[in-house]
Amino acid sequence: MDILDINIILYSAAFGLMLIGIGGIVISNHLIRIIFGIALLEAGANLLLLLSTYHEGASAPIIVDGSVPAMMADPVPQALVLTAIVIGVGILALALSLAIRVQRAYGTLDMREVRLKLEQEISENAGIEMPSSSHAPAVTTANSAAAQQESGS
Amino acid sequence: MNLLVLMIALPLLTAFLLSSINRISTLAARWIGPLVLLATAVIGLSVWPQLGAAPLALQWGGFQAPLGITLYADQFALLFALAMTIGTLLLWPRSAENQLRSSSLALLLAGTGSGLALSGDLFNIYVFYELMTVVSYGLIAGRGTSGSFASTLRYLVISGFGAALALAGIALVYQATGTLNLAQLAQLAPEKLNNLQGFAAFVLMLIGFGVKAELFPVNMWVPEVYATASSRVSALLAGVVSKLALLIIMRLLILVFHQPEALTVLLVLGILGVASGELAAWRARDLNRMLAFSSIGQLGVMFIALSIPGNAGIFAALAVMVHHLFLKPSMFLLAERWGGSIEKLAGAARTSPIAAALFVLLALSLIGVPPLPGFWAKLLVIMPMLALDQPLYYLAVFVMLAAASLEANYLFRVVMKLYDKQPAATSHKVHATADLATALFLGGGLIAAVFMLVPLADRLDSIAAQATDVSTYIQTVAPQQLQSGRVQ
Amino acid sequence: MRRFTAALFLLGLGVMIAAIYQHMDFSNTAVNAGQAINAVAAEETGAANFVTSVVLAYRGIDTLLELTILFTAAMIGGMVLGRRRVDAPRDPDAGFILRTGADLLFPLLLVVGLYIILHGHLTPGGGFQGGVILASAFFLPLLARPGSSINQDVISIVEGLAGATFIIIGLLAMFDGKEFLTPLLDKGELGALISAGTLPILYLAVGIKVGSELAGLLAHLAEAEALD
Repeated sequence: MDILDINIILYSAAFGLMLIGIGGIVISNHLIRIIFGIALLEAGANLLLLLSTYHEGASAPIIVDGSVPAMMADPVPQALVLTAIVIGVGILALALSLAIRVQRAYGTLDMREVRLKLEQEISENAGIEMPSSSHAPAVTTANSAAAQQESGS
Repeated sequence: MNLLVLMIALPLLTAFLLSSINRISTLAARWIGPLVLLATAVIGLSVWPQLGAAPLALQWGGFQAPLGITLYADQFALLFALAMTIGTLLLWPRSAENQLRSSSLALLLAGTGSGLALSGDLFNIYVFYELMTVVSYGLIAGRGTSGSFASTLRYLVISGFGAALALAGIALVYQATGTLNLAQLAQLAPEKLNNLQGFAAFVLMLIGFGVKAELFPVNMWVPEVYATASSRVSALLAGVVSKLALLIIMRLLILVFHQPEALTVLLVLGILGVASGELAAWRARDLNRMLAFSSIGQLGVMFIALSIPGNAGIFAALAVMVHHLFLKPSMFLLAERWGGSIEKLAGAARTSPIAAALFVLLALSLIGVPPLPGFWAKLLVIMPMLALDQPLYYLAVFVMLAAASLEANYLFRVVMKLYDKQPAATSHKVHATADLATALFLGGGLIAAVFMLVPLADRLDSIAAQATDVSTYIQTVAPQQLQSGRVQ
Repeated sequence: MRRFTAALFLLGLGVMIAAIYQHMDFSNTAVNAGQAINAVAAEETGAANFVTSVVLAYRGIDTLLELTILFTAAMIGGMVLGRRRVDAPRDPDAGFILRTGADLLFPLLLVVGLYIILHGHLTPGGGFQGGVILASAFFLPLLARPGSSINQDVISIVEGLAGATFIIIGLLAMFDGKEFLTPLLDKGELGALISAGTLPILYLAVGIKVGSELAGLLAHLAEAEALD
């Protein structure tokens, strides 16, 4: 396997983007960062899809002035990626709208705090006191302020 | 030309036009949704008998497979397409505000659900699945409480993660085979996908489509969503939508991925799902979350069933799915007025005796008490596993039996409360007539199944046999041999 | 601890990807639907741009669904963000350059957007790309003057009608005895502006729909009240 093969480089870029995205999702706690992690992951997957039949030197699959190029690129992945990108944009916009509402309701975008407050709200509506949450992180106001500052920087 | 595409096209068209129709007449906008769904259900039912003899393949746009997108209808697919349409009709959203939006969303859900079941193209499945996911965000967030927004956002994060992984899996499949048509993939899979790349693609797609099927590691959204969404939405998501995601995984398993490792992955995740779901349900103290966790357990049983090699597994999974299809929506409908702490349910049987009796029936069937259908469904899963005589499958049987006793424990805790002699301080709400009628209708289906057990089992067996018949699938779609488009 | 497990998870993922690398066959294009489409698309659809053939003809239903996703996302976005309070504070108007620029660019963006949409079957571009430019034409004035607003009711009707046009053209094929979404009309001369049958009309519907939906979504986000 030649390390400088163009395929290796391109696929590394695609998988690398996916890894960065997944890393953002699992390591970060801030919802905006998580949402951007998903966007990066999607970008990586789209690139992977585009590369699936990539061939060096192939021309765009368009006939100009009636001349058919000798080797045309595969049009299917291009169409698929177009679809996938638009879907991604729609979902990204939706995620950000929801994030605005969550921030307004709970005053935080920290995933752990949102989860804790959600749990509290559900329990309150159900009329049961919160289960003793030894597994949940103890959240104090100072703590959350620090988290917000950290994410803002 | 076939009218089957109308099952997908008509609901979408109506959803697009609904706000224009509302300008002209609000009355028409209110009624056109259910009427369209009724019409599409009739179309589906009229096609049903002819599919028994031979499945049907249509090409969107009339382009020859595998260039165009295939719509493949066998009874297996149509069963779930009909379940989606009729289920949406029965559980039509009835919120006063946002009536227009929720009607549009319900129509979109019915149309995409049918399309997802009938699709025969890998990327098309992905797009249908994404649309269904977006529609369900809308249905959950439609409640308008801060809790529903937060749970939708958390659901969206998990779902978006899964969808991107599924897309990467599709890319790997296209890279290896150069086609997305399921029939052609079935032809090429033994040669091209029987390797590490194929297995990686399967795992990626399993995680992606498993989000909706409440698969073990990606099901954190389940309790939050079912506790914050309205009961009708929870009933639809847990009852029907999760089965559609499972149907996709079944199709992929039957047609494309034949690695034995794939079955082991399903088995292990299924066992973990049953164990974690039932334990959490046992600990839950409010009815909504108890039902949510128990639905994770039920879906885990279906994954265990899928991991049984051969027709027996598909048959067993189908039986459990159909059983759950009737049972879970009905339970969520009962939870509508009984949401909240179980303590508060004390003595509720006195105010609503019919609902309480129905709950007892549903609980018995869920646990698997003979002669109710739940017993036979579980038996169908356990028997072939014992015959396999492998340690991991014995473990699965053990976990399922332990789970049944847990189920009995927590469900009877609810039943005991319902028939408690000392009523709770607060007065109990009586169910809305429409909710109770729907729940009774579904429960009645379970009782009817007891008396028609043999013909029903035969029918399910033939549906499963049709679904597992790969060569018929390929012949019906008949993808033309692709000219060798080899790029030098 | 959580970061440690996350890092471990990522490491495992990296190893898995490396393993896939080892077994991947990069030159594997023996059977390929795309090349088969390249061979027949000019004849079957009459569009010079084969990506357009795939988007609108071979995989037309995908495009319809994708439009539906945007439609749904825009609808839910509106529902989630809700109506603005009347007395909510607004951002001040933008500076002179942005305001004048927005006025000057508006007609230009419209023309470019429509040009790209209408030539989608001949050159790179099409309904999605052109639709995004249309959306930016309507969104730019909002950036310049945050006080003004887009009429969401009109948008929701426009996008509904554009989507319905797509489906109705598809249904017309069924009345003709063909499958849903089969391209109709004369294919014309390859490479001419008026060619490829119904594909340019479909792309126009796609463009208008994408434009109105993105404009609506962005307007909703812009309308969202500033956080206190």
